[in-house]
Amino acid sequence: MSERTQNRTQVADVDRSLYDFTYSEEGYERYDDGLTPDIVRAISKKKDEPEWMLAMRLAALDTYHAKEMAPNWGPSIAGLDMDHISTYVSPKTKQAKSWDDVPDDIKTTFERLGIPEAERESLAGVGAQYDSEIVYHNMREEVARDGVIYTTIEDALHDPQWEPVVHEYFGTLIPPADHKFAALHYAVWSGGSFVYVPAGVKVDYPLQSYFRLNAEGAGQFEHTLIIVEKGADLHFIEGCSAPKYYEANLHAGAVELFVKDGARLRYSTIENWSKNMYNLNTKRARVGADAQMEWVSGSFGSHVSYLYPTTILQGDRSNCEFTGITFAGATQDLDTGCKVILNGADTTATVDTKSISKDGGCNTFRSSIVVGRRAANARASVSCQSLMLDDISRSDTIPAMDVRNATANVGHEATIGRISDDTVLYLMSRGCSEAEARTMVVGGFANPVSKELPLEYAVEMNNLIKLEMEGAIG
Amino acid sequence: MATATTATPELKLERVNTPPAQTWNYLRANDITLTVPSESRKGDVYFALPRLFEGIECGMGPDVTAWIESQAADAQYVEVRAGERRIEPIIATMDTGVMVRTGAEATIVVCADAQATSRTSAALVRVIAEKGARVRVLEFVATGDDQQHLESVGITADEGARVEVRQYFLGAHTTAAGLSCALNGADARFDLTCRYLGTDDQRLDINHVVRMRGRNGRSDLRESGVLDGRARKTLRATIDLVHGSSGSEGAELENVLVLSDDVVNKTMPVILCDEDDVAGNHGATIGSVGPEQIQYLADRGLSQEEAEALYVRALFDEALICAPTAAVRAAVLARAQTVLGTEVAGDLVDALQLDTEDRA
Amino acid sequence: MSDQLLRVSGLCAGTEDKPILHDVSLSVGAGQTHVLMGPNGAGKSTLGHVIMGDPAYQVTSGTIEFDGADVTDDSADKRSLAGIFLSYQAPVEVPGVPLYSYLRTITQKRPELKMTARKFRDRVGQIADQLDMGSSFLTRELNVGFSGGEKKKIEMLQLLLLRPKLAILDETDSGLDVDALSVVSRGIEAYRQACDGALLVITHNTRILERLSVDRTHVMVQGKLVAEGPASLIDDIDAHGFEQFEHAKGGDAQ
Repeated sequence: MSERTQNRTQVADVDRSLYDFTYSEEGYERYDDGLTPDIVRAISKKKDEPEWMLAMRLAALDTYHAKEMAPNWGPSIAGLDMDHISTYVSPKTKQAKSWDDVPDDIKTTFERLGIPEAERESLAGVGAQYDSEIVYHNMREEVARDGVIYTTIEDALHDPQWEPVVHEYFGTLIPPADHKFAALHYAVWSGGSFVYVPAGVKVDYPLQSYFRLNAEGAGQFEHTLIIVEKGADLHFIEGCSAPKYYEANLHAGAVELFVKDGARLRYSTIENWSKNMYNLNTKRARVGADAQMEWVSGSFGSHVSYLYPTTILQGDRSNCEFTGITFAGATQDLDTGCKVILNGADTTATVDTKSISKDGGCNTFRSSIVVGRRAANARASVSCQSLMLDDISRSDTIPAMDVRNATANVGHEATIGRISDDTVLYLMSRGCSEAEARTMVVGGFANPVSKELPLEYAVEMNNLIKLEMEGAIG
Repeated sequence: MATATTATPELKLERVNTPPAQTWNYLRANDITLTVPSESRKGDVYFALPRLFEGIECGMGPDVTAWIESQAADAQYVEVRAGERRIEPIIATMDTGVMVRTGAEATIVVCADAQATSRTSAALVRVIAEKGARVRVLEFVATGDDQQHLESVGITADEGARVEVRQYFLGAHTTAAGLSCALNGADARFDLTCRYLGTDDQRLDINHVVRMRGRNGRSDLRESGVLDGRARKTLRATIDLVHGSSGSEGAELENVLVLSDDVVNKTMPVILCDEDDVAGNHGATIGSVGPEQIQYLADRGLSQEEAEALYVRALFDEALICAPTAAVRAAVLARAQTVLGTEVAGDLVDALQLDTEDRA
Repeated sequence: MSDQLLRVSGLCAGTEDKPILHDVSLSVGAGQTHVLMGPNGAGKSTLGHVIMGDPAYQVTSGTIEFDGADVTDDSADKRSLAGIFLSYQAPVEVPGVPLYSYLRTITQKRPELKMTARKFRDRVGQIADQLDMGSSFLTRELNVGFSGGEKKKIEMLQLLLLRPKLAILDETDSGLDVDALSVVSRGIEAYRQACDGALLVITHNTRILERLSVDRTHVMVQGKLVAEGPASLIDDIDAHGFEQFEHAKGGDAQ
């Protein structure tokens, strides 16, 4: 082979200075490490929760202790020592409706992440969580006038109008017994969002929640519950980041999405957790007749991820689109993908994922497409492309399909490869350096995902790719 | 337990046909559990294969290898000398090891027919293809409706060796088949064609694994089949691009025709990749006969049922064409008579002008 | 001969296992138009790629000088910035990269071409009109899903935008219908007028040459330059084909 194949792109660790700043948690309320009924009671007491919620937490804690992880599962989480993860760290502040009321260090954090600016320019509402608690929550007045609710689950539980709604939905789509970390989540959950969009209401601008884990050796367990009523329309954006520590952090959130008949929900995520994070997150959507669920997911950070957003196409003619990209660099072992269960007739699912592996990073794409017996004429297609940027990285593709209807049509295709020499030469012959050529190709590879994101997130994602690709060139 | 005195002792084989990388356990697609007879052979001594065959990974996993070795009589060892072009096919027995020396050529035939006296039959075939060897493995499972058949194959290929496998699984009550091929040397090549049929309450569990270790290897896996009735099928196909396999390309494609809503069809096409200068791709299409095809065939006078039957017949046609010996043809034909009826089976023979009598 | 823009001297090159070019020497003066002809498989495209710096080929001896500097060891991007342009026979597809962003990137790399985004857009628009390309081309992905003729137009667009000192056109005429061919011819003309650039046209078909005023013609057979002459050599080849040179070459070799 030519010389060029040995001369691989030099890439160092990403310049994460944008994300890697921390503030002292001095004076914060931090609960003891480990998991005991006392800690669970303390969290519940602090939140002044209804009795049913405490009961649910305690039952989930038992489930957590009783459940084993499957031995044949993906990347190891042996580095996670639950006895040394603090499940609850709360900044000393009350939730604010104005950024001026947010403590300075926290406000500065979110300003550096560009959240208030984005809120002014292009969002219908913003929630910001710092460690275990939401520190800021606000929504545009006109959206509130339409009857849209965007608040924390804690606040909804204290509202007599919404407490029964939370009770009805909370924990029904992802039951606490789903898996070990779902049980953990229900035992110690804190923060997150409750969104309710009334029938027929179309929210013109996205709502956004940003999750920041500042504390070292801590866990974040936010719960997001979104109900989009019949014919309503919502775009929800979730952003996550954390500074780099050497002690393991854990994120075990849960996202439950109810998309009613004829409704549409787009759920976009840019996840950039630091590389000491175990991101064991569970997301699930149930979709009614003629409704649409769209996922856009960019995963860049974390040390280990288990992330497989699930869509249950329950109603006839419902539809799911999943667009995702995962970028695994040094020390990262990211097990991501999605699951779609097609139960209704004439349902359709389109899954399009990309993965990029470099510097010894590992990507595993995992999917399952299950077509039920009733799903006449269901259509599902899965396309999965993996790009290998060097020969020390790894990329595995493990799709599964289970089809039980004769009129269904399921297609799957996956390719793994590297950037071709011809492409690099073509771009170099027009004046691009080799590094620029490779960055351009990787950017193009990621383009189908970034073009699904709102502009500022697409820009953030492209910057992340550039940082990853060009970190130490020169 | 009271009646166990006369029954053959049984053994439960768990996690059979497990692929190198697995999916969610709750999907019940990762493996199969089989119950097999297990006669004690204490005190008997049988001919065993040379030790080097022990190192060969077999598709169904080590438990099945151990079980077959414990139940088989003498193992059959066949060596094809360097440069020899062996025309006469090697007929596999229950436990067979074949050494195909440098530059030699050989054809190995594995055939399970309905004659077996036991409800469970099994074959274990291990093949070493040395440098530049050419090996064809032809597998035919044509056992009866009430039988269970286990077939585990392991192959290693050295530099420049070419391995071609054709599998015809024509329906047994339970067919569990695993095949693993390791392309250890540079420029080795593996081509697999697997055709299967599942009807009624049949269970079909297939595990294909290709380990691509040498440089510039090629592997191409084509599986296709027809499922009807309440048939349950699981296919796992793994292409493992091991570090060091630079320049290699692996492809896998499955086409499944599902003819009934009671079918359970599971497919798991896996690519593992630990090398950048490689190309891997796989695909699967699962569905019914397309409306355009049905219409086209209707224009030529075929009802939907007849059109679907055509796909089943085609499978037997192909198996018969590939059958290398009269005994295999007879086994396939007997199976065709059961599945398609005497008239169609007779027509197959006529059309292909096949000789099903032994010519001695 | 220091006024030569490109000077290839005693060049031997090939792939790892196979030598392709044998002792090739060829010079192109600034602003001149040269034609490189020869039967299929003669090594013409290889010469184009070696001049561009394709690492798939190794130079075993000889030198390539461009604009007074030895570029034999330079990478393709350096040669590109120095003013060499290779129009590909089969332009490579780059999924996900919109043509417009790509053009902007490669233009901004060249100090002499740097311009504001607005001016750039106008400039690209002008060239696109010149080549009968709709503006919708610009938002599509680079070379993805374009027909053979459209891809050649995109190559011409880059040629006119970058204004290289030397353009090597590798079988740019192959597989084009009459209309596309005339667009390409117009593009080449426009390039000649716009910057008086030199051309090395690689072809085995003489039709595209009808509209060009050719300074020199080179004939390559089996990796060797076997003949060089004025434009009239093209008519000779038109009438008698390459056999005359093949025989001559065979005689030489044995």
